[in-house]
Amino acid sequence: MDKPSHLSVVIDLSLTQWTLCAQSTNPPGITLQDFLSQLLAFLNAHIACKDENTLAVFGAFPGQSVMLYSSTGEVTTTTAESTDANTYRPFRTLDSTIMSSIAERLDSYDGMTEEAPIGLVGCLTKALCYINRTITTALSSSQGGEGAAASVDPRILVLSVSPDQSSTYIPIMNSIFSAQKLKVTIDVGKIFGAENVFLQQAAHLTGGAYVQVERADALLQYMMMSFLPAPAIRQLISVPTQDRVDFRAACFCHKRIVEIGFVCSVCLSIFCQPVPVCSTCRTKFPMKTLQRLRDARPLAAPPGNAPPRPPVQKNGTTTPARPG
Amino acid sequence: MAPPAGRRVGDDFVDDSDSDVSITGLDDETSRAKAKGKGKAIDRNKKDKGKAKAKEQPYAWEASYSRSWDTVQEDERGRLEGAVQDWIARGRRRRLLAPAAAIRRTIIRHLVLVLDLSSAMLDRDMRPTRFDLMLQYAREFITEWFDQNPLGQIGVVGMRGGLGERIGEMSGNPQDVLKAISERHKLEPTGEPSLQNAIEMARASMSHLPTHSSREITIIFGSLTTCDPGNIHDTLDECLKDRIRISIVALAAEMKICRDLCAKTGGVFGVALNEGHFKDLLFELIPPPAQRAVARPGAQGANLAADLMIMGFPMRLPDTSPPSLCVCHSQMKSEGFLCPRCLAKVCDVPTDCDICGLMIVSSPHLARSYHHLFPVKPYAAVMSLEETPDPSKRCHGCSVAFRDTPATMLGAAGEGMSPLGRYRCPECQNDFCTECDVFVHDVVHCCPGCGK
Amino acid sequence: MAGPSIRIKQAGESSKSTNTSGDDSSHRLVTFLQSQSQNTLTRLYQKPSSCLSIFRLLRPLERQLVMNLLWLEMPVPAATMAAWVTREGKRPYHDALSNLARLHILPQSPVKHALNPTFKSSMRQAITGGGSSGSFGVLTENDDKHPPPDIESLDAYALERWETILYYMVSSGTGQFPTKPSQGVLYLLQRSGLMASVHGNTLQITSAGFQFLLHPPHEQLWELLLQYLQMAEERQMDLVEVLSFLLMLSATELGKDYSTENLSATQKAMLEDLRDYGLIKQRTATSRRFSPTRLATTLTSSSPPLPTSTGTGNGSQAQGFIVLETNYRLYAYTDNPLQIAVLNLFVTLKSRFPNLVVGQITRDSVKKALANGITAEQVISYLITHAHPQMRKNKPLLPVTVQDQIRLWELEKNRVKSQEGYLYTAFASQADYEYVLNYAKQLDVVLWENSSRRCFFGSVEGHANIRGFIERRSAAGNA
Repeated sequence: MDKPSHLSVVIDLSLTQWTLCAQSTNPPGITLQDFLSQLLAFLNAHIACKDENTLAVFGAFPGQSVMLYSSTGEVTTTTAESTDANTYRPFRTLDSTIMSSIAERLDSYDGMTEEAPIGLVGCLTKALCYINRTITTALSSSQGGEGAAASVDPRILVLSVSPDQSSTYIPIMNSIFSAQKLKVTIDVGKIFGAENVFLQQAAHLTGGAYVQVERADALLQYMMMSFLPAPAIRQLISVPTQDRVDFRAACFCHKRIVEIGFVCSVCLSIFCQPVPVCSTCRTKFPMKTLQRLRDARPLAAPPGNAPPRPPVQKNGTTTPARPG
Repeated sequence: MAPPAGRRVGDDFVDDSDSDVSITGLDDETSRAKAKGKGKAIDRNKKDKGKAKAKEQPYAWEASYSRSWDTVQEDERGRLEGAVQDWIARGRRRRLLAPAAAIRRTIIRHLVLVLDLSSAMLDRDMRPTRFDLMLQYAREFITEWFDQNPLGQIGVVGMRGGLGERIGEMSGNPQDVLKAISERHKLEPTGEPSLQNAIEMARASMSHLPTHSSREITIIFGSLTTCDPGNIHDTLDECLKDRIRISIVALAAEMKICRDLCAKTGGVFGVALNEGHFKDLLFELIPPPAQRAVARPGAQGANLAADLMIMGFPMRLPDTSPPSLCVCHSQMKSEGFLCPRCLAKVCDVPTDCDICGLMIVSSPHLARSYHHLFPVKPYAAVMSLEETPDPSKRCHGCSVAFRDTPATMLGAAGEGMSPLGRYRCPECQNDFCTECDVFVHDVVHCCPGCGK
Repeated sequence: MAGPSIRIKQAGESSKSTNTSGDDSSHRLVTFLQSQSQNTLTRLYQKPSSCLSIFRLLRPLERQLVMNLLWLEMPVPAATMAAWVTREGKRPYHDALSNLARLHILPQSPVKHALNPTFKSSMRQAITGGGSSGSFGVLTENDDKHPPPDIESLDAYALERWETILYYMVSSGTGQFPTKPSQGVLYLLQRSGLMASVHGNTLQITSAGFQFLLHPPHEQLWELLLQYLQMAEERQMDLVEVLSFLLMLSATELGKDYSTENLSATQKAMLEDLRDYGLIKQRTATSRRFSPTRLATTLTSSSPPLPTSTGTGNGSQAQGFIVLETNYRLYAYTDNPLQIAVLNLFVTLKSRFPNLVVGQITRDSVKKALANGITAEQVISYLITHAHPQMRKNKPLLPVTVQDQIRLWELEKNRVKSQEGYLYTAFASQADYEYVLNYAKQLDVVLWENSSRRCFFGSVEGHANIRGFIERRSAAGNA
């Protein structure tokens, strides 16, 4: 039960969203600086739990995904070593490496490329590649097959502030399935903004925790209680899971998030409105069906990207109960 | 003493199955090794079996003990790196050969699995018996099939005592199907099989299906006879009319009628040589068949089968929500899924909403098959760094450092392999290491550099 | 007496009996700390490094509870805290609470829980950095004259020291005279009961010592250190200073030079002892700098404290070197005299090659080990921990026949079971005898009976009752 665990953290570093978050008053927001200092305390706590615990931190910048730190030493910075006797040395290297690599990136932006979507997918896939490699190296360095594979116990924590990017629907789903295959748990902390449909599904499908942070000033406590426990200990300590999981998908044609979609029977592509030809596999659909579906279609699809779900039944009573 | 280290590795390399189901590799190896070790001659005349299958695989009973470790090439330092590289290179070449464009697949599949439960299945030429092996492989087949065809349905029919016997109804839930064949004692083989009866029964259970789904029958056939009430060629014609594909894995020998059934309906016929080959043949039927562009006689072009379907993506309620009645069983329950159109609560997905008739699927169900549609482009092996002005030092995926000096490649083994261990994505021009190359293409199906 | 009933344990059970730090039981040091006074512990908790190291020795659930509470300013109601755990977690949760209470980290309280304030502030400091305690060790400035030692030489040093101690122990009975460890180490070995002097002055390994040899290195180290702590009390050393120095060492970094200037007098005195155990390396006895070895830096982790357990330093052998076959033959890929000597405790060694020793586990060899006080479980767990990577592909790891046979040989030894009791004889009549016997049988204290000789044997517990019964009866008969 007391075995080392690996944690990969994906940090959403969209400056626009962080500015919005810092300005937010209801619920009270948090600045990037405060967030990072709380995050570092959390990361230190993870390393503090066990000497063999490993850590990798990925930053999702606009249009870019970067590895900020890894305990196997892939990222090195040029910061001079200070001789501070008051801090545990691994903590200090961790903190200074992360801070300097973030600063380096953010300095080079200056709000120019801010409009690009953040590289969340890149981070997720990189984290998976990294975990895949650490697992396979653990395997090849003997210690006998299944024992070593189980001992790594990897998980990924996504700290998100950006809304869903529907264009990344398929890559995110692919990452989720590979995480399932590798037995990686994905935890999600939503620090600012509305619920994130895809990340909700990620947490649900991999058995992780999805936490909507309501009081950003208590972020550290949220992280300690929900994301610090390793998967093995979660049988004993209850970790908040999400209330409800939204299984909506994004359509292929306009990248809208839909709850009722039109699906090509050949390739299962999803469309938000009836189309005569499937754009993916070039199948022509019969006119008859098109006509029928157009007639039966619900009201015109909402124009906005990712419309919120209608606030149905907080208490679950609107379900039509059958008489008798 | 412990066996020489190279042995298991070596066996994998000589394993020349072209099946693209990678998970079979290890099991095959062990079962085949078992067959070799057995070295037992069974004096049954099955000589004319050899047409349908790869020549290099011997029959289970005539295989000699092959010293597989001798075929592994060690380099001058006694290492197996060359062999490992060769193996990786083969995987790469296979991927490069695969068409890059999205293939059209029939993804909503309906399959009836027909199991031979005649007394011929008690034969022991496959260990432990044909029957037990069939059940074991059938279970693995069903699990893997549902994994790759999430929206498909499977029904199970048995052949024994001259009758067709319905063992499991059409179901989209792997657990239901597995449960149907879980009780061995209910399936005890006896009597003669009847192909016609079984096919008719399977055909009847698929007759009502919508036109856009594929209909398939997969038969595992161990007998050399069939005991039919009428003319089986009439049944064949009916199947052609209904566009049912029949595939047969025979365990004994090739029969003309079996080959005809498969050839005419567009299915696959194969005779299993030994345990491993049996599994290969069966598992080759798992990936969704590409839809033929050429219209078959009897089918009026493939496009007619396509249709646009309306589907709803539900909201899942947690088990802490207040209980309410579900529309499918009328039971008080906390957890469940809400139909997005009429907000009725159903217990499980995928299903049709009982109230408004909307097909409810959860989006992960659909998304599981998308990697067939959008495969990652094969990475190009980087042969030298001369054209690249500023090469990255580390793998773009896992950040492992690349080696600086090219490794020496062993002749043909290195074909398609990068001496620098670098593979470049044609889209984003990022370099990846060998491990990530394999992982990205086989598991993630999404390039870390360009997110596609 | 009836033969022993033979119970053959399942192969899986064996691993439970070994007391490794990964198991459910608390760490040795934690148990030791729990016996200390609140005052001592609170003083210890003043150093962030001590808090961090002790925190690492806690069990996973305890660690999580501490972390949950660490950042809260207000005490948490007990009911709220109980809701953190799932139904399966109830028992471990209460265990964890009482454990933490005995460590005075989380004082027991029926209503509200809050961490010990000293512990809380030090632990926070450890995680966020800052403060001015300097408890993580002061690095010396780099100067060109004394470059810090490289990791290989530190490892070699630690290994040499540690194996000297063990090798001295294992060969003490054989008449060989290998290098003697320092006087301090010898004293410690004697005090801990691992060795005892027999004929006046020569030290001889005891049965506890034999058992010690088969433990994994990590446990051996802690066993000695705990002994050292107990000795420290007698030597009038301040326990808190000794402890916090050890815990600081465990938070230092391998391959760095630390300065001795900030150490207290007690801690400076400890340097010599720790040098003898191989925990730290100093260039000269009076050097003002020291470098911790891997033995020290892995004190609170479960990674192997000794890099390679072989003399040749071949990395792959650190993971295991023993191949055991179903025919009781044992192949050990090692040329390390210590490992060969330890194997010699329970294996008949047949032939020796430059990197391989071949032997056979025989009845006699195991009997010899058992006579030395080594148990069958210890032999088996030693074989399991040191199994060759090739062996690890087997399931179960060791051949079942060999495991069972080793246990059976141990049971053979326990064929005669002694039990204290009383023999009742010389009953006046058969009726008397049966009357008393019946009474004793009702109490279920009869161990043996022989009606033709009119005697039976009862256990100690039943004696008072039986004697009373007989006295009452004879009194009634006389009356």
